[in-house]
Amino acid sequence: MAYQELMKNFNRVRDYMRDFYVYGLKRREEYTQKSARSYDDERRRMESWLGPWMQFRQSAEGKQVFLSLDSRRTKHNPLYQAWKAKSFTDGDLTLHFLLLGILQSEERGWTIRELMAQLDQMLSAFTKSRTFDESTVRKKLKEYEAEGLVEREKKGAVVFYRSGGKPAGLNVDVLDFFSEVAPCGVIGSFLLDQWQEVGDHFLFKHHYITGAMDSEVVYTLLLAMQEKRSVSLHLVSRRRNHKTTLSVVPLRLMKSVQSGRTYLMAYVPVFRRISSYRVDQIVTVEMGKESPLFDSMREKLEGMMPHLWGVSTQGRGKSRLEKVEMTIRYEENEPYIRQRLEREKRCGTVEQVGKGCCKWTAEVYDSSEAIPWIRTFLGRITEIHFSNPVVEAQFRRDLEEMYALYDVEVADDFS
Amino acid sequence: MIFREIYSVYYHTVAKILQAALSHPLSAEELQEMVEQNAFGESVLHLLPALKEEKWQVLKSDGTTPLSKAPYLPLTTVEKQWLKAIEQDPRLQLFGDISFDFPDVKPLFRPEDYLIFDRYQDGDPYEDAAYQAHFRLILDAIRNQYPLEVELKTRRGNQTKMVLLPKALEYSEKDDKFRLLGEGNRFGNTINLARIQQCRRYEKPWEAKKEEKEAPQRAYVVFTLMDRRKALERVMLHFAHFEKQAERLGESRYRVKVWYEVEDETELLIRLLSFGPLVQVKEPERMVSLLRQRLQQQRSCGL
Repeated sequence: MAYQELMKNFNRVRDYMRDFYVYGLKRREEYTQKSARSYDDERRRMESWLGPWMQFRQSAEGKQVFLSLDSRRTKHNPLYQAWKAKSFTDGDLTLHFLLLGILQSEERGWTIRELMAQLDQMLSAFTKSRTFDESTVRKKLKEYEAEGLVEREKKGAVVFYRSGGKPAGLNVDVLDFFSEVAPCGVIGSFLLDQWQEVGDHFLFKHHYITGAMDSEVVYTLLLAMQEKRSVSLHLVSRRRNHKTTLSVVPLRLMKSVQSGRTYLMAYVPVFRRISSYRVDQIVTVEMGKESPLFDSMREKLEGMMPHLWGVSTQGRGKSRLEKVEMTIRYEENEPYIRQRLEREKRCGTVEQVGKGCCKWTAEVYDSSEAIPWIRTFLGRITEIHFSNPVVEAQFRRDLEEMYALYDVEVADDFS
Repeated sequence: MIFREIYSVYYHTVAKILQAALSHPLSAEELQEMVEQNAFGESVLHLLPALKEEKWQVLKSDGTTPLSKAPYLPLTTVEKQWLKAIEQDPRLQLFGDISFDFPDVKPLFRPEDYLIFDRYQDGDPYEDAAYQAHFRLILDAIRNQYPLEVELKTRRGNQTKMVLLPKALEYSEKDDKFRLLGEGNRFGNTINLARIQQCRRYEKPWEAKKEEKEAPQRAYVVFTLMDRRKALERVMLHFAHFEKQAERLGESRYRVKVWYEVEDETELLIRLLSFGPLVQVKEPERMVSLLRQRLQQQRSCGL
C-alpha cells in the first residue's frame, strides 16, 4: 500500500514516538519488531507532523533519528499532533461537512428525507457527483449522535436531527493551560485548534510530555472508573518483549511529575491484591462489566496511601511495612534544607533532633522507592537506617561505588 | 475514543478552507498557502489533490463551495466530559468564575481518580482571593502588554518593590507554583507569584531597563550511564523534558548530553545524585567538582 500521511491505528506510531523522543538511540537496523518499510513510513510520518523537532545524527554505525526539544521552551505539546492524524474515507469527509453544513444552515430539526434532498442538491454541483444512500447517511448521523455532534429528537413517528451547539464560554488561556497539565490534555488541544485567538501566555517547567502518547489508554481507564467497571488490560513489557492480558478493577491513576511516568493502581482479582501498572506499558484497554468491588477496593487503596512512597504496594522484605529513618545536618543559615525535607517528603514525619539536625521517619510498603530521594540529601546524611537489611546494604554499596567513581577518599575528620 | 478523524488536522484545514471559500472563489495558490499554514509538512501532497480532483465533494474545482454557511464543529461529548473534569480543578478559578453547563454529561474524572504523588507540598494558594486577583491582573497585563508595579517578600524575608513588563507565566507541576517572567527591571524579572503582596498597573511613564543579570544562560552536562536496574529507561525518561542527545558506547554503557539553564544547576546536581552510581558525570569539570564536593561532605558525615 502506498505511503499515507494519516494512519488508522494509533498504536502503530506510539512506540516509535517514545523511542525517538525518550531515547533517540536506535538506528534503523535496530527496529527489528516491524519491517524496515514500516520504520521508514513511521519516521516519514513523524517528520511530516513534527518537522522542526526531528533531528538525526550520522555516525560510523549508522543514522540515528531522534526528537529533540526542551519542553520549557515550547508552549504546546508537539506530540499531540499525532492524535490529529487519523485517516478517513473520501465519503467520511464529504458527509461530515455537508451534513453539518445543512444542519447548521437553519436552526430547526431536519428529517432524513429533507437531509437527503438537500445533500443530493449540494452534490449535484460537482461534475462527477457522488451519491450516498440513506442507510449510509443514517449510519453517519448515528455515529455523530454518539459523538455528541448531532442531536436526535422523535416527534410522533418522525425523527428530527439538529446540530449540537456551538462551543461557547471557553477561554483560550484556560485551554492553553489545562491542555498541558490536565489528564488527556490532548482534548483541550482539539478545542484550541478551533480557536481563532492565539493565547500562548504560559510556559511550563519540569514538563513531561510523553504522557500524550497514552491518552487513549488514560481516557478509557478514566471512563471505566466513572462507571466503576472492570477492564481487560493488554500489557507489554518492552524489555522482555512479553505480552499479557489481565482483568483488573481500575482504582486510580497516579502520576509522577519527577519521573514522567503514570501508573494505574488497580485491584487484581486473580492475585487478590492492589497492584500498580505503568500506563505506557498498557497497549489497549477493553471495558468490562460494572464491578461490585470498586467502592471497597477504592477505600482500601485510600487506607494504603499514607504508606505509599511511590506506587509499589509490596517491598522486597518479609514485613508488610518497612521503616526508614534518615537524619540530616544543616547550618544555621540553611533553614531551607529542613523546609526541603518537609515539602518533599511524601509520607512520614520530620522532627528536630538537635541544633541543625532533623530526622525523617516513615513506614512504607517499599523503602527502596525512597532511595533516589534520599540520595538528593547526600552531603548531609549523618544517619540512615532501613528495617529491610537488603535495602540498607544496597544503599551503602551504592554509596561506596559513588565514592570510588569520583575518587573520594576516606575522610580523616568525622566531626 | 479520542483518536477520531473529526479532530484531525485535515478536517480542521478543510473547515478553514470552506470558511474562506464562502467569501470568494479560492485560487490554487491560496489553497496551497492555507494547507501549508494549517496542515502537516507533507499534506500538500495528499490534501490538495483530494480537493482539486473533487474526491471530497465540499469544494468545487472553481474554488467555490455549495455550502451556504461554514460549518463549525459542535462540542463533542468527549470535550464536554473533559471540560466538566477541569471545572473541579482549583486552578480553574484563577481564570475567573468559570463553569461549564453541560447537564447531560458527567466529568471524565474527579480529583480522587487522578493523583500526582510526588508533587512538592508547598504549592501556591490557588483558593486565596488575593492570589487569584494577582494572577488575573498579571494575565491581563501579559495579554495587553502594560507594566506592573509589584511589591513582594524576597526569599530572605525582605520587602521589595519593582516595576516590570510581564511576558509569560511559567508553571511547574513538580513545584506546583507559578512564576511571572517579565522584562525591563534592572534587578531581575522572575517572581514567584506566591511571594507577591501587592500588584497594580503602573500608570506613570516607564522605560524598560536592561537587566543587570545576563539573560538565562544555557549550560550542558555530559554523563555516562550504566544500564543496570533499568537505569537507561529511568534516566532517559527522567531527563526527557530537557533537550538532550544520547549515544551508545558499549553493550550497556551510554553517553548522554543534557542542556539546561544555569539557574537550575543545583537542581540538576541533586537530580544526578539521585541516580547514585548508575550515572557518572564527565563534563563540565565544574559539575564533576560539585558532585565530588557533595560526596566528600557525605564522607565527612561518617557514612
